[in-house]
Amino acid sequence: MKKFSELSTRLKIAKKKANKNSFNGNKKSSSALGTALKLSTEMVAAVFVGSIIGFILDNWFDSKPWLTVIFFFVGAVAGILNVIRSAKLMQKNND
Amino acid sequence: MSTNPMHQFNVYRIGPEINLGNVDISFTNASLFMIISALTIVSVLFVGTRRKAIVPTKIQLLTELSYTLVSKMISDTAGLKAKPYFPFVFSLFMFVLFCNMLGMLPYSFTVTSHIIVTFALAAIIFLGVTIIGFVNHGIGYLKLFIPSGVPLFLLPLIVIIEIISYLSRPVSLSVRLFANMMAGHTMLKVFGGFVISLGVLGGLLPLSFTVALTGLEILIAFLQAYVFAILTCIYLNDALNLKH
Repeated sequence: MKKFSELSTRLKIAKKKANKNSFNGNKKSSSALGTALKLSTEMVAAVFVGSIIGFILDNWFDSKPWLTVIFFFVGAVAGILNVIRSAKLMQKNND
Repeated sequence: MSTNPMHQFNVYRIGPEINLGNVDISFTNASLFMIISALTIVSVLFVGTRRKAIVPTKIQLLTELSYTLVSKMISDTAGLKAKPYFPFVFSLFMFVLFCNMLGMLPYSFTVTSHIIVTFALAAIIFLGVTIIGFVNHGIGYLKLFIPSGVPLFLLPLIVIIEIISYLSRPVSLSVRLFANMMAGHTMLKVFGGFVISLGVLGGLLPLSFTVALTGLEILIAFLQAYVFAILTCIYLNDALNLKH
């Protein structure tokens, strides 16, 4: 019986350690290169999507090139928003 | 074998040409490697779950680790409501992971280094998440595009920006995976080419670089699969637990 209680305490300690380790492991698993690539794709993707939307709307309304230009900048704004959001998310995960 | 670093990304037909209407649906090396990775996943999981030993074998350990990783990821980021979507996220994670990892073998083909493959995956996620959002919240899901506390005269602009931000999700998701895989494999091939062209003595430095880069690539292959899955969870979270 004594052995069992000993085993259960040891299990508890091991579980605690494992939980802690896996939690810490997740935090450090993203490398700096990964972070940089993640943020840059967020930015570029929004600019790309914005320009495409502008281009399509230009073809609809026959107003080349003005809507493309406007939506390029709106896309850039959305990209900055994306970057800020994912940076905030990273910060939250790091705390 | 050509020394062109982009040669490894060529898609070619295996077997006869099959046309469905105007669409070419012939069997290519890309389809071959997708099937190989799917079969590898199924066989690994099958062998891993066959004997449920208390002291696990290596394959059983791998299976259980991947299960707990994905299940923890879902409950951490999207909460309990997302549990029914575990099979989808798990198969997505395993498919991307095995495609990336099989691409690391010499003479193999990296399916995920083609943007059409990653974009198809991202588009499925995007459409699925949007449908889940509308099913769960009805028309109220559109509130996602209206952040709280915005003055009325700014609202049209903000809504447009939010919609572009929402639409850019599948693009950034697919471009990230594709760019990582393609850049890494091109870099490996370029350094491999240096080894050949610099000869025995001069080739030692690029050879050591190639070894280091291979390690880095394996890390990236895992990390990108992880990021792909975790972003799916984050999008699911947006669709299930609407905030604002």
